[in-house]
Amino acid sequence: MLSPTHKIIEALLFSASEPITNEQAKVCLQEEIDLAQIVGEINEYYEQEKSPIWIQSLSGGYRLMTRSEYDPWISRLFQSKGNLRLSRPALETLSIIAYKQPVTRTEIDSIRGVTTVLKPLIEKNLIETKGRQEGPGRALLYGTTSHFLEYFGLATIKDLPKIKEIEEIMHDEPGESVQEREQA
Amino acid sequence: MSYHVKLDVFEGPLDLLLFFIKRDEINIYDIPISYITSEYLQYLELMKSMNLQLAGEFIYMASLLMRIKAQMLLPHDINENLEEIEDPRTELVQMLVEYQQYKMASETLRNLEENQQHYHPVSADPETPSIDPDLFLWNVNLMDLGVMFHKLIETLPKPTYYEVDQIRMSIGQQIRFIHSLFGEKSRLRFFEIAKQLKNRVEVVVTFLAILEMVKSEVVHVSQKDIYGDIWLSKIKTKVQDAVANA
Repeated sequence: MLSPTHKIIEALLFSASEPITNEQAKVCLQEEIDLAQIVGEINEYYEQEKSPIWIQSLSGGYRLMTRSEYDPWISRLFQSKGNLRLSRPALETLSIIAYKQPVTRTEIDSIRGVTTVLKPLIEKNLIETKGRQEGPGRALLYGTTSHFLEYFGLATIKDLPKIKEIEEIMHDEPGESVQEREQA
Repeated sequence: MSYHVKLDVFEGPLDLLLFFIKRDEINIYDIPISYITSEYLQYLELMKSMNLQLAGEFIYMASLLMRIKAQMLLPHDINENLEEIEDPRTELVQMLVEYQQYKMASETLRNLEENQQHYHPVSADPETPSIDPDLFLWNVNLMDLGVMFHKLIETLPKPTYYEVDQIRMSIGQQIRFIHSLFGEKSRLRFFEIAKQLKNRVEVVVTFLAILEMVKSEVVHVSQKDIYGDIWLSKIKTKVQDAVANA
């Protein structure tokens, strides 16, 4: 069973249109709370009850979400949303920005080897300017937004798979010869 | 016999080079530059022959590849100090490795994106106003349609002139018309009479005719409730006079 505090948190999450942070919950409840723990307990309860909803840790807060097994029905309700996927160039650009932020457009271009268009990503509120670079030209610096985290289901930017992990996967294939060479 | 040409879409020259490297299982740190240059140039020729516009970046990479190839072919001066001479491929390899890193990272993002799209937030997301417009019709009732129609009418430009028709109907005519309707009946309903009239003016004239008949005590009117139907009852003795007076 859920305690009154749990139920208040549940109500807060239900009424919010974006992730609720520990700070926001504290202000609403007028007392110190450990939102992560409460959310964990509510999720356990949901699990027991086989509830179609759960609370996801997103962008530094928590949000009520439907479970993935109900997606077939819900996606029919949001027909056009289901088809909206980012293009390959957009994802490439996003990954560079996500890992290297803050980063200038010139840096992005030189990594991709092509000219990059950032406007669509800004319009989708996935990236934003984060000031200007020091030095000549004072180029604009870009970084990811909180919506980026929500879009990719991340609690913080640190939850992105480490570039080292990706490198390891990469080195598993052609990298063997490199290791062999090093051993030799 | 049919001949199929399949062209993969490459994001740029680095993407294309990585494709060759993967396809031919080439070690990225030891690229056979002569081979890969000829593969690359062949692909550019293919693109040209299909009238595909080549982006400047592809041309630039071609020149870079040929420069590296030339540098590799040139005999190295044997360095007096036997210092290791930098491999001319180093810069290209670094570019490829870095690009591949982010390309793989973008595939990770793709997975995250796909995964997250299976979850839906509990409240309507204002950032995705993407519901099929047809679905909105589910919640529409007749009242909404009526209100919408009314609003639509109001937005139409107001007519700036009115046509005035001559009224081709007189009160006398309508008194005779009502008498003809009575026939053998002793009572008539006003709504019944009005049904046979074409427009508002005719209704008004007919109503005036009834008032005239009431005044001359030809008929008696009664109504059960407000806005209800009006009953006309004939007062027999005066009928002839009223017709005569009209």
